Amino acid sequence: MSNASAQMSRSRVFAAYLGDIRYELTKMARTPAFAIPTIIFPAMFYLLFGILAGGGRGNAPFALQALARWSVFGAMAPGLFGFGVSLAFEREQGLLILKQALPMPPGSYLIGRMFNAMVFVCISTLLLLTIAVTMGHVPVTLGQAARILFVDALGVLPFCAIGLFVGSLISGQAAPAIINLIYLPMAFLSGLLFPLPIRILQQIAPVWPSHHLGQLSLAAVGAPAVGTTANHVAALVGVTVLFFVLAMRRLSSRGINLLGPAPTGAVFPLRRALNMAMMGIAIGLIIIGVVGGTAPPAAASTAATSKDATDKEDDSAATDAESSAAPVGVAAPDTTLIADFDNGSDQASYGMGWNAFDDKSRGGNSTTSQRVVAEGAGHSKGALEVSGDVGTAIQYAFVGTSFLPNGKPTPDFSQQGLMNYSSRHTLRFFARGDGQNYTVAISGPELDVIPAMYGFNAGADWQEVIVPLAELGNLDLERVKAISVGTMAPGPFRFQIDDVRIE
Amino acid sequence: MLYVMEDDMSQQSLARLAGAHKRFGAVKALDGLDLAVNRGEMLALLGPNGAGKSTAIALLLGLQRADSGSALLFGEDPQSIDARRRIGVMMQEVNLSPVMHPREMVAQVASYYPTPYAAAEVIKRLSLESIANRPYGKLSGGQKRQVQFGMAIAGRPELLFLDEPSVGLDVHAREVLWRVLRDLVHEGCSIVLTTHYIEEAEALADRVAVVKHGRLVAGGSVDEIRAYVSRKNILCRTTLAREIITGWPEVQELREESGAMNITTHDAEAVLRLLLAADAKVSDIEVRRAGLAEAFAEITSANQADASPGGAHSGKLQ
Repeated sequence: MSNASAQMSRSRVFAAYLGDIRYELTKMARTPAFAIPTIIFPAMFYLLFGILAGGGRGNAPFALQALARWSVFGAMAPGLFGFGVSLAFEREQGLLILKQALPMPPGSYLIGRMFNAMVFVCISTLLLLTIAVTMGHVPVTLGQAARILFVDALGVLPFCAIGLFVGSLISGQAAPAIINLIYLPMAFLSGLLFPLPIRILQQIAPVWPSHHLGQLSLAAVGAPAVGTTANHVAALVGVTVLFFVLAMRRLSSRGINLLGPAPTGAVFPLRRALNMAMMGIAIGLIIIGVVGGTAPPAAASTAATSKDATDKEDDSAATDAESSAAPVGVAAPDTTLIADFDNGSDQASYGMGWNAFDDKSRGGNSTTSQRVVAEGAGHSKGALEVSGDVGTAIQYAFVGTSFLPNGKPTPDFSQQGLMNYSSRHTLRFFARGDGQNYTVAISGPELDVIPAMYGFNAGADWQEVIVPLAELGNLDLERVKAISVGTMAPGPFRFQIDDVRIE
Repeated sequence: MLYVMEDDMSQQSLARLAGAHKRFGAVKALDGLDLAVNRGEMLALLGPNGAGKSTAIALLLGLQRADSGSALLFGEDPQSIDARRRIGVMMQEVNLSPVMHPREMVAQVASYYPTPYAAAEVIKRLSLESIANRPYGKLSGGQKRQVQFGMAIAGRPELLFLDEPSVGLDVHAREVLWRVLRDLVHEGCSIVLTTHYIEEAEALADRVAVVKHGRLVAGGSVDEIRAYVSRKNILCRTTLAREIITGWPEVQELREESGAMNITTHDAEAVLRLLLAADAKVSDIEVRRAGLAEAFAEITSANQADASPGGAHSGKLQ
């Protein structure tokens, strides 16, 4: 017997969904234990590690990467905490049972929370973007900002599913600790926030969903990423489906059916088969994603600058000895010209260079070559052309050409001398190329320190690149070992430089 | 089975359990329970802890499935959302979000129903204006129960399930609750109530069902329950034979307790007259009135199935 009064108009059902979303948002906004870790922590850590520690203005590629990486750290939290911790509590405290008895529209509980997680991630990412633009002077374009937001907002879903599953298993008391035990290690082990120190950790990084979201986020700002978009998306979709199905099964066995009434009788084997099929597909997707997203070790976080840097053990031993307390380099020669390539040679007016370098010694598969070509900037006689293909075998690939102002004819980076450029304030040169973005990297005594970096675009026409040395972070002008120009973006590249001066 | 429901079959029972069995591991929570809630009545479900009251409610709410037998809500599967849009629920142990305000909580639940009350109306009806915009976590236990009650009635339900609604309420709040419950029944709402307070059942319920060991052991109108408790016990020492006493029509039950006789009767005066006339040496006479709680205790402690109040055997409990 049905009663007319029980008929609910579509608009009222829609309003009920909206009401649940609004209720959930209000609740979470009033819960500091949720709002602080999800919004304040990512912003705080980004400010500390991405902006203050990472070098300031002008260090565009590094700053963009840091933004992309820390935004993913922020994207992980709302899903894990919003589903994991609250679900565990509400399950324990009878609220879920009460909700089951109420005519809540099907799935509204999940939709409300999912939307809530997305809103919080957008707030967190917008906050990071604001910090990046205002305090870090990171040159984020509107397109990059929109792409990061998009990646992060959708990227909450696998973490929602993981949270849901964990929340269906554990008690409310244990939930915050356990979610943190998943959240923080997963963020670090994915190599997202800091380079991974151990080779095995680097190799298993693609196991973590945060690795895949991190690569998508890096790609969103045009930073070099490993693996293909399709691989990462496959892994993330797989994780989402797998944990969602597992959580639904678990909750359903406890009499909680968030998607609507539990089926009875003959429907059950069908649903069971469907569940199994979905889990099978999900696991397949994860395998495809993980295998495709394999990232062999990144040897160092820095852009290696030596043409064929050899034994890393030696390097690190030597660089340990050299610290920032290393003596200042020899005084720079009077000439401001480093190289104009007009005599058909790739040698500079002093020091060693220019020399093309790749990442093979660090386990990479990139290739580089260089040659002097005619038709330099301003119709000069020659210019240096560097071309090649950046591979995806390692993280943080960086290839190009480098100049060692006080270099010695040895491949050992630690043996290279330093130059004191403290009287100079600008590095300038002309560049043209295939329209891609390139990076100037200026390295100090230590190989394992992120060099000062400056990004530029090499368009079809010669254009002058002016690097304001005083404004670069991570730069000790008294101790300069190498000046490199190159790229981190996977794929083929070609650029020319001419008339390099430091003045 | 004492509480036969044939007569209800032709009537509109809003919620019905028929031969419901439910087992949790080794524990038999329901053992063939039959129960029906009729339109416009307030049914009090009584029983000791672990008797199966909560399981019965859980089956009617669709929170659990019967192992065998059936549970129907408005003639439908209790999990059907259409059926659920016609009921309101107040549960016993629920911790709601401490940061939300009662007005928001009532409004949220109301939004799930086709023709709910406005949140303000519910707040006013329960005299909750002073706490309507305070965080739920800052309210006293009694105030929280009142808010939960407000959430239960927000959807203008045809059938209201209340699990121990007056636990933790002060006298005034309980009066408000009782008044609103009576008003709701007057407006045509049916109510199923579980309670530990027998006087609450007595004050409110049209009908009482006593559950024990997952079965219905007694049921009837409150008047019938009252009739049951109007029986008195006469204790005395007498030399009369058991057969003589049990032969008197007014005597309903006779037990021997440590040398004394315990006679249960509806008409203590008549039995006393007979007793004094038949045995001049009768001594230590004591007449005890069975209280409501005592009657309940007796019903639920009696093992024999016919501990039901008079009239229950008829099968008609309206």
